[in-house]
Amino acid sequence: MLKAVGGTALAAALAGCSSLIGAGTNQDTSGEVSDVPDEPIQAGLQTFTEGPAAVLGLQSQYGAELAVERINAAGGIAGREIQLDVKHEADAYVENYTQFVSEGKEVTFGPVSSGGHAALAPEVEAQGVVNVSTDGTVTTLYEETVPDPTYSFRFQNYDVMECVSAARETVNRLGAENVNTVAGINPNYAFGKDEWKVYTTALQKLTDVEIVYEGFPDLLADDMSTHITEINNQQPDVTFSSQWGGDVVTMMNQAAANNMFDNTQLVGTVLYSAVNDLSQDIVEQAQAFSGSRNYYWGEPEPSRWSPGQKMLDDARSKWDIIPSGHFMSGYGAVASWATATEKAVNLLGGWPSQEQIAMSLEGHGFFTPAGYHVMSERHQGLSTTYFGEMGWSGDVGAPVLNDINSYSPPDVSPPPGTKSIDWIESW
Amino acid sequence: MRNRLPGLVSRDGERKVRVMRGLELTLRQTALALVGLLFLFALPDIARLSPTIQLSVLHQGVVFGLAAVGLNLLVRHTQLVSFGHAAFFGTGAYTTALLAAKYNVTEFALLLIAGMLLATLMAMLIGYLSLRHTGLYFSLLTLAFGQLLYALVQGQAFFGSSDGLPVRPGPNMRPDIFGLALPPDAYEVLMYYLTVVLVVVSLLVMWRLINSPFGAALDAIGQDRTRAQFIGIPVRRYVWLAFVVSAVYGGMAGALYAMVQQHVRPGPVLYFLRSGDILFMAILGGYQTLLGPLVGGIVLVLLQDMGRDLTNYFDALTGLVLLALVFGFPQGIVGSLKKGGRVRNAASSFKDDPAVIGSWLSSFTESLVTAASRSVQNVKVLVFGVK
Repeated sequence: MLKAVGGTALAAALAGCSSLIGAGTNQDTSGEVSDVPDEPIQAGLQTFTEGPAAVLGLQSQYGAELAVERINAAGGIAGREIQLDVKHEADAYVENYTQFVSEGKEVTFGPVSSGGHAALAPEVEAQGVVNVSTDGTVTTLYEETVPDPTYSFRFQNYDVMECVSAARETVNRLGAENVNTVAGINPNYAFGKDEWKVYTTALQKLTDVEIVYEGFPDLLADDMSTHITEINNQQPDVTFSSQWGGDVVTMMNQAAANNMFDNTQLVGTVLYSAVNDLSQDIVEQAQAFSGSRNYYWGEPEPSRWSPGQKMLDDARSKWDIIPSGHFMSGYGAVASWATATEKAVNLLGGWPSQEQIAMSLEGHGFFTPAGYHVMSERHQGLSTTYFGEMGWSGDVGAPVLNDINSYSPPDVSPPPGTKSIDWIESW
Repeated sequence: MRNRLPGLVSRDGERKVRVMRGLELTLRQTALALVGLLFLFALPDIARLSPTIQLSVLHQGVVFGLAAVGLNLLVRHTQLVSFGHAAFFGTGAYTTALLAAKYNVTEFALLLIAGMLLATLMAMLIGYLSLRHTGLYFSLLTLAFGQLLYALVQGQAFFGSSDGLPVRPGPNMRPDIFGLALPPDAYEVLMYYLTVVLVVVSLLVMWRLINSPFGAALDAIGQDRTRAQFIGIPVRRYVWLAFVVSAVYGGMAGALYAMVQQHVRPGPVLYFLRSGDILFMAILGGYQTLLGPLVGGIVLVLLQDMGRDLTNYFDALTGLVLLALVFGFPQGIVGSLKKGGRVRNAASSFKDDPAVIGSWLSSFTESLVTAASRSVQNVKVLVFGVK
């Protein structure tokens, strides 16, 4: 049984440690904690609970539920348990948040959607109840939409991090001199276009690559063969894709049927989000390089890293899934808020206000089974990014990432005060 | 001397309340109208009673209802069914959002007028091109133009593509109302009351319009185009005008929507399903009535919002309502409640003789039995053929 030294029982539980050495002596609570409400903490999560995007959304929900379960099992935050109310984000991001606030929720999590997050963040600033988004990873959010946030936070790494990681991964694996041509198949909406732009900008800085084709199939398109045919004609050294969920399955199945993988190397930021839906022969044909955002269950090696093993076991036994990066999005969003709030309680000796919780979250560091995370001063979570070669594991009965490379935040995200695209262009 | 001011008048021995020229309500209608108005104005307080009902959702319902009132001018009077009315709603919304996001226009009135103006221009163009056709071809053309706008906005970074545009101009992060920079709560409530005032004025204008010679001409066109042409009605021009007027309502609703939501994305305002929603609102509320579409808008938006709390299959809920509507209450909510409507008829026969419930039940079972035996017959024919 793994024990944590230092920290609080809550922080230890969220880090995936079973107990705290010397727990029970309450040595961490320096001041007297008074003035804490008796009732449980009401929290709200909006995520995609149905429809095609539920492939990601349910993972976020399960992650958040696991974090809540662990917090409550560790006695809650200053004795207050969390009750999590989950709502389908549909197209009603702002309405969902407003409803959470009027129901008296003390904290809100989500959404998954980038566009939804851009709509929501200014409203969070106006209403002043802390929101830690699980995903909604659009790069421009804290650079342009809400440049000086107070109450709006985001746990998951943002798009620039996974795109720069993908560019570096491409060069690491293939060698800069072997990357002369690149093509893209990206979903036809803001996220897909942003990812393609950031990836190609970064790749052009690292190599002398030439763009030979760019295709933007609609979300949930059932035919991607025109793009695949074009790539077979061009035979680019690299094909980049930011497809996720069901679109990954469609693209990879059709690419395999048309022997696209003989002609190009597929690199994707979130291909692994389809982990529970890909079949063995496709994965083995593709040998794609995929990112997994800020969490990959197999890194570090679970047998050497028991918090990771425990999280994998929990996800498999409770929901029969391989947890993906989106699982960690939900888990980490809740964990960041809970640990920061507990810190504020201990500092203040009473229950903190929304503003105090927000201040406590800024620059806050904490552990999860994915490792160490920082919620930076600019309200953007910064964590290690994982990339690997997708293969099949008979033991797991699912795709795995082999030969993992990890990228630390300074390697793939701009220094404070710099816009992402300006930073890449300055290389 | 004729009384030209609002007040009480006497017509054929019945006392009526004169609202404006030509619009005189019976005392009962006046009472209902006042209750309705009071209800609209009290909504912010009603919304405060329960956290499941939100003012912003009700507000959205009123706004979409306004767009449906506009669309209804076409559907009810000229019998033209437009499947692309979201185009004008979206034009209003996007004009407002663009001015706010890219040109930092902060004044509510300016944003509203600009939205209506652009929607008018858009309708003049689309109307000119699609009104050459009637029936299905007209519907398909409006659908096509609507989708064209959707694709344009979705594809252009200038329009914020799929992420959309915020409507948060100025240092206050929201439009100023007549020069006043308000805190969020006050902004929300004041915007709502402004919407109600605009809706009431729009309804009065619409009433006046459909009870004018122009409105009568539209009815004539709806009944028989050729005949209307022969009696000298400039059909093309009148229909085009009606199309533009209905789009002005859509544009106003879109601009209000943008300022209420403070963020505009292509899906919720321009996608063809939104056009379907607006049409459905008119039918749900009762498209043969003036107020029906407004009621339909509020009911549908509320239903969609509350449905999400009840079940993951909330889209199916809308389908069920549609089924119930088509089979049970084809006149819509307001239509069924009107004199001669299904609900009113049932209520009055119930008042006359409560035993009527028995005959309702027996006719219901009878129709069930008939339907069942008919389907058995059909299966027999399918399996064994006709003998």
